Amino acid sequence: MTEVVLLGHVLFGVGCLITTVWLFVDVLNAHEGNLVRIRWMTRAAAVFLWLAFVVGGYWYVVDYKADKDVILKGPWPLAHNFFMETKEHFVITLLLLATYLPIAASNNLAVNKEARRLVLCVAALVAVLALMAEGHGAIISMGVKTGLLAKPN
Amino acid sequence: MENTAVSKHTTSFGLSLALCAVLNALLVIAKERSKGVAAWMQKVTGHHWITHVAIILVLFALFGWCFGRMNNGRGPQMAADRLTRIVSSGVAAGVLIVLAFYLIAD
Repeated sequence: MTEVVLLGHVLFGVGCLITTVWLFVDVLNAHEGNLVRIRWMTRAAAVFLWLAFVVGGYWYVVDYKADKDVILKGPWPLAHNFFMETKEHFVITLLLLATYLPIAASNNLAVNKEARRLVLCVAALVAVLALMAEGHGAIISMGVKTGLLAKPN
Repeated sequence: MENTAVSKHTTSFGLSLALCAVLNALLVIAKERSKGVAAWMQKVTGHHWITHVAIILVLFALFGWCFGRMNNGRGPQMAADRLTRIVSSGVAAGVLIVLAFYLIAD
């Protein structure tokens, strides 16, 4: 069950990342014809991020303690002390950014260049932070793996 | 002439986002540096992180609503490009403070 929860967390996170990159390209070419799709994409990115956040948050609160003990006793304690500690906090900002995307995209991006730049900036920040979160997650997993491998038989 | 105005909610929640990104980082420092704050956050919901998330989400909604009521309900008046700079600076500052804190100070 724990693995399913974790896979769901990663899957929704990647969903948000892909949606945001798609959105970024769509906004670069914003016109009256793709405004509806752009707004739906911002909502999809927000939903994906909320799902990733809730599922990941559940895992962090309920299941992470055992993994944390393994990491801290293993050769990569930094996987918790830096990567998990920073990830669990910067993802809160990422959640706010993704929630703000649909609000920023509610303006007419086809005719408003400055509003377009705002959405591009928010989408870029979401993409960068989501990528960072994925990388941090990978290092945390490696921390658990090296911790388990280092355990004496 | 091209339209450059953005909606009231875009400005008010954008400012709230920038502010909350920084407050998020300051709350990290407060709970890591003060055992009292950490214990209180642990006690409120049973887990410090859940309390942390709840505080920031409530503040985001609250500040966004309050900013929207400024100027007789018209919200803050500013150019969208300035808002973009404030949002990006706030988010960058918040994330960098968190990274620097765990890298150097903690």
